Amino acid sequence: MQYLYLSKQDLPRLLLAINNSHLLFVPQEKGDDYVYVPFSKITPEEIIYNKYRAVEPIKSFLTHSKEIVNEYFQGADLLLEEKPVAVFGVKNCDLSSLTLQDYVFKEGVEADPIYKQRRENLLIIASDCIDFKQTCFCLAVDNKPYPEKNFDINLSPINNGFVVEVGSKKGEDLVKNLSQYFSQASSGQIAGSKMKRENIIADLSRHLATVNIPKSAILQRIVQEGYESGVWKEQMLTCVECGACNFICPSCHCFLLADEQDKRQSRRIRIWDSCLYANYAKVAGGANPLNTRSKRLRNRFVKKFDFFPENLGQFGCTGCGRCIEACPGKIDIREVLKDLAKK
Amino acid sequence: MKNPYQPIKAVIEQIDEETPTIKTFHLKPEKPVEFKTGQFVELTVPGVGEAPFTPSSDPFIKDRMEITIMNVGRVTSILHNMKSGDIVGLRGPYGKGYPVDEFSGKEIVIVGGGVGLAPLRSLLLHLFNDLAKYKTVALYYGSRSPKDVVYKKLIPQWEKKKDFDLTTTVDTGGDGWKGNVGLVTTILKDFKVDKKQAKAIVCGPPIMMKFTTFKLIDEGFQPENLYLSMEKNMSCGLGKCGHCRLGKYYVCKDGPVFTFEQIKDLHDIWD
Repeated sequence: MQYLYLSKQDLPRLLLAINNSHLLFVPQEKGDDYVYVPFSKITPEEIIYNKYRAVEPIKSFLTHSKEIVNEYFQGADLLLEEKPVAVFGVKNCDLSSLTLQDYVFKEGVEADPIYKQRRENLLIIASDCIDFKQTCFCLAVDNKPYPEKNFDINLSPINNGFVVEVGSKKGEDLVKNLSQYFSQASSGQIAGSKMKRENIIADLSRHLATVNIPKSAILQRIVQEGYESGVWKEQMLTCVECGACNFICPSCHCFLLADEQDKRQSRRIRIWDSCLYANYAKVAGGANPLNTRSKRLRNRFVKKFDFFPENLGQFGCTGCGRCIEACPGKIDIREVLKDLAKK
Repeated sequence: MKNPYQPIKAVIEQIDEETPTIKTFHLKPEKPVEFKTGQFVELTVPGVGEAPFTPSSDPFIKDRMEITIMNVGRVTSILHNMKSGDIVGLRGPYGKGYPVDEFSGKEIVIVGGGVGLAPLRSLLLHLFNDLAKYKTVALYYGSRSPKDVVYKKLIPQWEKKKDFDLTTTVDTGGDGWKGNVGLVTTILKDFKVDKKQAKAIVCGPPIMMKFTTFKLIDEGFQPENLYLSMEKNMSCGLGKCGHCRLGKYYVCKDGPVFTFEQIKDLHDIWD
């Protein structure tokens, strides 16, 4: 791993340079949260370092909640004419979700051309978490609060600047092309960033000890063995089938293909879908294997804690805690897992 | 880059009325479509949507495709009102289909229920191309009533076929029906095959598949020799959209044909 140093004053200059070739999104504070805004909408003085993940999951830069996937019979090739996107301040819960999203959209039977193009163009300027939200639980699902993979460059803050890790060929090219902003990091700087990482792990561990989520090693088993448990029924009572948990989840990937027609042309659109919706699994003949809310809630957990570990060796949950905040019924993924472990 | 969501055009050349609710559409795709028997395609009604169907035609014929469709939903009800000359869209094929290579030299028992005979017709046509390759081939077919029998013109031809056994039944007789009356499971007996070795292929509505599976297992057929066509809400066909998950599988890419061995321990497979 190559370690570089970037000074605090050079961060705006670096981002400005990146914005020349990319549509760059940066986090802005909103209450206790961070939301992404285009870099062009802020002044360099407004650039901030987000302490933890933003509201939007990274998938929203790769698949849009509603978009056209084809206009009928208009030729088999698809090329988007979009400026490459760059995102600053991406945290590890989102980076881990990219492994899942890539597995779904880039790999398999055929690659999804829209995703693939955006993903290959996406420039990720990741950063360490230096604080956490009360809903954060990445450590409980084997994730670290700092990036380990799936980034182009990563910034670990130290006094007056950042230790920069290069994580990809794209990242290598970036630091080469903008070498004026980077110098070699000293061993003291590297040690400083490592100490900060140890501190956040210790703080988050202390917090999670009070939350008491079941150990990651048993999560798959409790979901499997809890298939017939009453937990699903108890927990779904407040589910209003809004789909917020799915849409805000960086790992959820399900989509609906639907058709639209106007006078001149028919087209197929892709919309983010939710497995909590009543007709999610319904077939034309009328059969609906997920015909109750408790079956649908269970389906969400089976997908995340059984299907993905089985097929990919990784949970379909990265511990970002967004679904906990988004749910109007206050259904808490941590509490569901705890209830399952109890039974 | 190739767009997997892009259908190609296909012209409806002919429509056969099989039953009051089932029609067979003869399609001419704008370019040949290669499929393996048991694979499915997504058929588009422009502006309305698409739905998954397994072709019922001979997989060796690539410039035409026949699909037998029951009028049950939003897309199929519009399809049933379409006419010769109308344009539809096709994409696929998807999934794994029947492992016909593994059927060579074996005794083959095929069990169909209702419109479930449609995919099996494609399998039969594949087998008919070289019947000598298989030790024996037998079809057991059940319909609700005599008027619900699909391929009414084909069945008498098949009955006359050498080296091919056909047994039919209807749940409820009438209309001058002289054959067996009773659920398809009632004709699944007195097999003249080595049940430990024979291959059994089942396709039909979920309830029929469930009881046929139990009956065949009871008779001594082996779970790894029992091939089931699973029906789920297949949409993208690529294992991406998530809707057709069955345990650790996606029906669209890992199926739609599974051995009972593969799925017998999964939850709710008949739902």
